[in-house]
Amino acid sequence: MTTTDLPTADLVRPSAVTARQLRTSGAARRARHSTIKMWAGAVCAAIVVLPVLLAGVLPLPDPVKGVLKDTSLPPLSPGHLLGTDPNGRDLLSRILHGGQTSLLIGVLAIVLSGLIGVVAGSVAGYYGGWVDVLVSRALEAQMSLPLLLMLLLVVALFGPSIAVITLVIAVAQWPEPARLTRALVLVEREKPYVAAAQVLGLRRPLIILRHIIPNILPQVLVVVFLLLAQAVLLESSLSFLGAGVQRPYPTWGGIISDGRELFVIGTWWLVTLPGVAIALLVVGVNLLGDGLRDRVRRTKAGAA
Amino acid sequence: MGLYLLKRVGQTVLTAWVTVTIVFLLLRLAPGDPAVSYAPPNPTAAQLDAIRREFGLDRPLLSQYGSFLVHLAHGDVGTSFQFREPALSVVLQRLPFTITLAVAAIVVTALLAIPLGVWMARRANTAGELGANIATIAGQSMPDFWIGFVLLIVFAVNLQVLPSSGFTSLSSLILPTVTIVILQVALISRLVRREMGGNLASPYLTIARSRGVSESRLTWRYAFANSAIPVVTALGTRFAAMLNGVVIVEVVFQWPGVGSLVVDALERRDLPLIQATVLVTVLLALVVQLGVDLLYPLLDPRVRLGAGAR
Amino acid sequence: MTDDISLAGSEALVVPGALPRTVSRRSLLQLAGFLGAGVALGPALAACAGPQSSSTSSAGTASSTLSIILNRNLVSLDNKLNQYDAAVTVQRAVRQALTQIGLDLKPQLVLAKTFALTSPTTWDVELRDDIHYSDNSPVTVEDVETALKLYFQVSAGYVASQFAEQPKLTKTGDRTFTLTTTKPLVTLDALMSNILITPAAANKAEELREGIGSGPFTVASADSGTGTYKLVRNENYWGEKALLAEVNVSYQEDEGARVIAITSGQTDVIDTITPESAASLKTKQDIEVVQNKGTRLIHLFYNFRKPSSHPLSKPAVREALSHAVDHDSLISSLMAGQVTSAEGVVPTTLSGYAPTGQYTFDADKAKSMLAAEGVKDLKLTFIWEDSEFAGASRVLEAVGQMMDAVGVGVTLKQIPKGGDINGWRRGESGDWDVLANGYGNQTGLAITNLVGQYGGTAAKEKTRDTYQGFVVPEISDLLDQAGSEPDQAKRDALLKSAQEKIWALWPAMWAWTPNNLLAHRKRVTTLDLSPGNFYDLATVAVSG
Repeated sequence: MTTTDLPTADLVRPSAVTARQLRTSGAARRARHSTIKMWAGAVCAAIVVLPVLLAGVLPLPDPVKGVLKDTSLPPLSPGHLLGTDPNGRDLLSRILHGGQTSLLIGVLAIVLSGLIGVVAGSVAGYYGGWVDVLVSRALEAQMSLPLLLMLLLVVALFGPSIAVITLVIAVAQWPEPARLTRALVLVEREKPYVAAAQVLGLRRPLIILRHIIPNILPQVLVVVFLLLAQAVLLESSLSFLGAGVQRPYPTWGGIISDGRELFVIGTWWLVTLPGVAIALLVVGVNLLGDGLRDRVRRTKAGAA
Repeated sequence: MGLYLLKRVGQTVLTAWVTVTIVFLLLRLAPGDPAVSYAPPNPTAAQLDAIRREFGLDRPLLSQYGSFLVHLAHGDVGTSFQFREPALSVVLQRLPFTITLAVAAIVVTALLAIPLGVWMARRANTAGELGANIATIAGQSMPDFWIGFVLLIVFAVNLQVLPSSGFTSLSSLILPTVTIVILQVALISRLVRREMGGNLASPYLTIARSRGVSESRLTWRYAFANSAIPVVTALGTRFAAMLNGVVIVEVVFQWPGVGSLVVDALERRDLPLIQATVLVTVLLALVVQLGVDLLYPLLDPRVRLGAGAR
Repeated sequence: MTDDISLAGSEALVVPGALPRTVSRRSLLQLAGFLGAGVALGPALAACAGPQSSSTSSAGTASSTLSIILNRNLVSLDNKLNQYDAAVTVQRAVRQALTQIGLDLKPQLVLAKTFALTSPTTWDVELRDDIHYSDNSPVTVEDVETALKLYFQVSAGYVASQFAEQPKLTKTGDRTFTLTTTKPLVTLDALMSNILITPAAANKAEELREGIGSGPFTVASADSGTGTYKLVRNENYWGEKALLAEVNVSYQEDEGARVIAITSGQTDVIDTITPESAASLKTKQDIEVVQNKGTRLIHLFYNFRKPSSHPLSKPAVREALSHAVDHDSLISSLMAGQVTSAEGVVPTTLSGYAPTGQYTFDADKAKSMLAAEGVKDLKLTFIWEDSEFAGASRVLEAVGQMMDAVGVGVTLKQIPKGGDINGWRRGESGDWDVLANGYGNQTGLAITNLVGQYGGTAAKEKTRDTYQGFVVPEISDLLDQAGSEPDQAKRDALLKSAQEKIWALWPAMWAWTPNNLLAHRKRVTTLDLSPGNFYDLATVAVSG
């Protein structure tokens, strides 16, 4: 809600502040900028997400069965908008179907890491004491571990299945929501409504669940949403290093990894085009999330 | 201060030890037989047994761990299976390359990100800042291996102006550094902008401005100096993270550093080499973070290091 | 990465109060700035000085300098533990053996003046009189004796495993000795080409990191960690001196990086390149691609540890599946025409090879044969180790489709590198049907391949040491006989008979021999690549 929403009839006294000044004020510009970012982000992300979701119904060639004689066709060849790989499989189809796997893993991972993070952060922030010490040390320890190495090791240990990779990415990401939740809960628990609930005899887990979490949820959700970008990047990095989901099902990182040895001899599209898809999606999610975060912050500042 | 230092050093050693132990266990529990990588092709069972005996892999886990610790106390992290040399010396041979890359990247990042972030803070809520905002978001969104490839294709393959791999001359540093810098500048400049944005609105700046202090002096001498701690911390954290995290860039550019060494060692299950790499990089990262923390009193005289409840 | 960069956990406490100001903070910060810049740039400059000395110098600066980039780290210049074809080139430049495998894959004399079979179990050897090491010390019979002993002492040594038994060396004169075995070992002259001779005092039962040899080059610098070596011409060489003055060896595992290195002039020679790289490099003006038929066999081998009720245990079914593979399409689309479909059980380049048949593509015949054998709904699992051969995944995915076309379901299982594949090969990790495997040859002899793959016996199978469970007593007997037959013609006849029997069993769905592919810049004027994928560095010449 901005002051420019007030109908002129309500302005009983003439104001020295002109409408134009209101429009160009910092607050108004911030609002506009966050809207621009949100729209730009939504469009970028939609360009990628919508076709990926519709991959099953669009008239695309089979992403797994290729026609050998159509080997390594460049983009804009007849019938293959983005070209083919050496096995004669259409690249656009592989990118879209691969996106389904990559996105699935990404979404599952952030849901999981969000859950873990919020639970851990809120109990650490609310209960304090040794619970807090435990969670905080775990957070610190995870920060000093060589992340990519550990992920590669775990995947080598348990096999590169969708479940393992999702779990591995979730574990890599839980510190962010946990840290934020903890910080927010630390602030919230000093507020009067929490004291009131305690006086009324509400059990502590219920206080957290029914009262504290709904108040901090918007900010945490934005952070979790932003993690989607990171999850997709992490999944493609793992695939690139060979620890991704098994053949012949395509994943974005896997397509890039397969095309790696060929790009230098001219088959550039296998490496650059899936990367464009990843970049567009991640940029879109980041822009959208950043705009959302501006909104959420402003609303909080306005409400508080 | 001395007590604080002691405590931190103790924590560093503890963290390093826990990390190495976890890696030790994971490596021995992972499937795959290290002996196969070092045996002749199509080996017989007898040959594999002989190799396992030589590497000490046939002993029970606890016994292996025990002798590992004993050797560690003497500074011996084991002998690399592949190189048949002390693993530590193999890692230390390649460490300077990784450090060079990380140092070059962090220096360039600092030189670019700080002015950019300050500029963004000064021009808050203008169209220019929106543009820079979107650009930095784009910068932190692109997968580093992809940026690396695109740069490789353009500069090394098509234009052929820069070397593509290895470390043959100073110009070999350019492409890998640029790849890393794009992401780091995006992150750090946004951090600087956030911190500066907060500081630029402080009341004491308003008063100083009303007393006629110039804008640039205000920006750098006051607002930025007060943002120094978070920024330096972030730079230090990033540098420490880079020591572990440039793996992908090293793989793409065939940089002869520790990252590409460890990826190779993982494939071959060269257990001592992996352990040595993890130990060295974790220790280095922790030492860098400790160094950054020790800088605090220099940057902000209000800071007193030591035990304090949060 | 999101915006929320976490700060390192620290216990810094913000306490109001001033620090005693003896030195102003500003000057301290300035000093720190200078120090920081120095520290930042210092290692970069120092590292420049350091690494550059061990990096490859750019090709063609000095006259007659050669730069090579291998695709694997040449861990040392010794071969006691491991050896691969390209390594032979560099290793043999520094150290020599009694014989060497020549360009025609037949053994040639090097350090030995004569090497002859005088009785079924005895070889007589005489060393040349003029041979010496690079420091002028003579090569003695003791050196040969010690070397032979140490190669067999190394646990699970690669070279030792090629010998059926360890020969006994008996000195008979100042420069002469005999090598005796209990059972006739007719290929000993070829096998001894892998026993490198070093001064006995310096030799050890492990890969030597330094030391001298009798070869046309000496080692100027060696760094095994980064895999870079510098060889210089041995001015003290007992034979014809090398044409090159200096050779710089390094390695890059990434194929793309090596291609870029040669096109940008950073290196002169890259070996063992993929067919795609070869096709692309052929179009470059200043690069020449050398190709010849290789000695490596890659095949899709069946799992012979199946119960007799399984369809794959019938040769007719195996034959039917072979007819389903459209290998011409595979060769032209995925292998750039750089492989030859096998025309027998071993590569045609090996001595003792006998043509026994060809693989043909006939999908209808495949379907009808499968139907005739009553095979319905057959499902096969293909396994292979990552990077077993160039483009392995692509080829196997395509083969999977071809199986699909004749009604056979396929599951592809790519085993990551790390040694896991061995458990699968030994039948300990799970059930599988077809294995894509490469089999190299270091002796130039067909019998090495045949014994290694088809010489399985029930005794070996007890420890799972046969080749995917292939045990056919008739064939292993024939191979045994051939191995002890001193007469060349009779031996070849026995081998031919064995190969025909093997072929009739259709042990592989398809097999092929990839060409050896090497690319060099045109400034390299002579480089003769052997079918074994190695070449003699002493005869390589460069112009300008």
